[in-house]
Amino acid sequence: MKKNNAIEVKNLIKTYGDVYALNDVDLNISDGEYFVLLGPSGGGKTTLLRSIGGFIRPDSGSVVIKGKNVNNLPPDKRPTSMVFQGFALFPHMDVAQNIGYGLKLQSIEKNIIDEKVNKMMDLVGLTGLHNRKPHELSGGQQQRVQLARALILENDVLLLDEPLSALDAQLRKDMCIELKRLQKTVGISFVHVTHNQEEAMSVADRIAIIADGKMIEEGTPQEIYNKPKKQFTAEFLGEKNILIGKVLNLNKSKIVLDIKNDKIEIANNNYNVSKNQEVSVSIKSESIQIKKNVKSKINEKNSIFGKVTEITFLGQFVRYLVLLSNDQEIQVRSSEEVGNVNLNDQVILNWKLDDFILHNE
Amino acid sequence: MIIFFVLPLLLTVVWSVFERTMFWMEPAFTLFSYENFFFSSRLENFLSSMFHSSISVVCAFFIGFPIAIFIRRRVRKVAQHRVMLLFILPFMVSEIIRIFALRPILSRNGVVNSFLMDMNLIESPFSIFVFTPTGVVIGEIVSFLPFMIFSTFLALEAIPNYIFEVCADLGVNRRRMFKDIFLPLAAPGLFAGSVFIFVNGIGIALIPTILGGPGSVNAGLIATQAIIALDFPLAMAVSAIMMFTLMGLLYLGHRLFNLTKLLEPIS
Repeated sequence: MKKNNAIEVKNLIKTYGDVYALNDVDLNISDGEYFVLLGPSGGGKTTLLRSIGGFIRPDSGSVVIKGKNVNNLPPDKRPTSMVFQGFALFPHMDVAQNIGYGLKLQSIEKNIIDEKVNKMMDLVGLTGLHNRKPHELSGGQQQRVQLARALILENDVLLLDEPLSALDAQLRKDMCIELKRLQKTVGISFVHVTHNQEEAMSVADRIAIIADGKMIEEGTPQEIYNKPKKQFTAEFLGEKNILIGKVLNLNKSKIVLDIKNDKIEIANNNYNVSKNQEVSVSIKSESIQIKKNVKSKINEKNSIFGKVTEITFLGQFVRYLVLLSNDQEIQVRSSEEVGNVNLNDQVILNWKLDDFILHNE
Repeated sequence: MIIFFVLPLLLTVVWSVFERTMFWMEPAFTLFSYENFFFSSRLENFLSSMFHSSISVVCAFFIGFPIAIFIRRRVRKVAQHRVMLLFILPFMVSEIIRIFALRPILSRNGVVNSFLMDMNLIESPFSIFVFTPTGVVIGEIVSFLPFMIFSTFLALEAIPNYIFEVCADLGVNRRRMFKDIFLPLAAPGLFAGSVFIFVNGIGIALIPTILGGPGSVNAGLIATQAIIALDFPLAMAVSAIMMFTLMGLLYLGHRLFNLTKLLEPIS
């Protein structure tokens, strides 16, 4: 069953002087979906979020929320609520006043507000902190107040602008779990902006990679992480092993690439490539096996020669840097030290045909 | 702190109970000066100067606070301090000159009255603008308004911008914004500006001397006149009374509004 779209963004363009903050962005976010806009700083993801929220007026394009064009509506008239970056609370109001303020503006009866505030405080885990002032709260608690203040208005979409960036790493992890839980409980769409891929992977139903004002690609966390379609995505997600090559040969199941001085074979997963095309491929460093080369000739498939230039012990795993004959370095992660492989040894690297991913777009 | 602040205050109180001599005073304990103050028109003048000062404070609030809000909200960030600088410019001119210059502006055939007459808005010129308590209040507002603008602007400047975005998201209207956001968050600045204007309103002799007529004498002028009459204990007594009155008012304010709470909305 296809879900309805909560948000439809079409051809959105926003410029600052000569710079395109958003360059023709299209985006669809379903009802009840946890959607993450992931990308490097200054890539336009916050501009996109703020355009959805109504804080920025785009030059052209349209934003439709719940089937209604909201282009000309101010933030408070849109069915969206925003959680701002940093701890954006009213410093002179206590927790309950901060959370209830939006309802107070709607002239709702005080006892109804109190009841809703109590419910919301229980939901976000602030029970009993009614009378605390923002400066008496921890960072995590302050963000919970922001969440409650936004959710209490019961809008269709919650927008979160780098909500966890001011928290420390451990707290961020905990809050990710809670955000996800909260989203499932309230059931509305969350749109979450972050530059932290771990944060994105742990909360998202779907992720869009945004950079240079453009939508690079979108997909589930698994798709984005395991099978990035674009080289940019692979690089952004920290992939070090990216090789550029030319297609030498291909058939339905295999593609042979010339990567200068060497050839590699990869599985053909219906890639849309043709002979002699330049392509980039990548492989996760944990997918490569390393072993000492004792023979002078490769007789195994899916393997390549190299020389170990660095071995680093990193606790959970050992990292080998291997120099290929085309002067490119490949990272290999192994969960334990591989016996008898030492610095400057000649080694053979091999992998499963499927492990290489081709970025052809 | 002790030498320049506490000691003069103590001496003021001590000297106020000394006995008056021809040209100076001699150590004694007499409440003659206080008697002299409380059982004469001086008390009445003192009370009315407090009343006039209060009016100046209220007027300065209604004129100065909106100006400060306007600068904070509508003037570009880089230009804000330049605009504030404009309000310092009048202080380059001696206070006497500045206040004296109000006379030809406010007098019966002054600029304001001529303008109103020319526009056919009034038939005969207002004569309450100078040499009346009204004149003194106008003079105080003109002189002290920048302090209200400064102190409230500084408080408003400390409000982080995200507050305004949250307000936009929640749909806070202007009236609510003023009442729920600006007023409580600028309270420390409002308090500082108000105290400054009130104290100077009852303490600075210059303004009633130049713009005031009979019946618009403030505490500062009473003390000055006492010094001119070489009645130093009386001058000291007036000052001491001013001091105690202010302390009393601050205490009352504290009891009523809890100043500590009022003064730290942002922490």
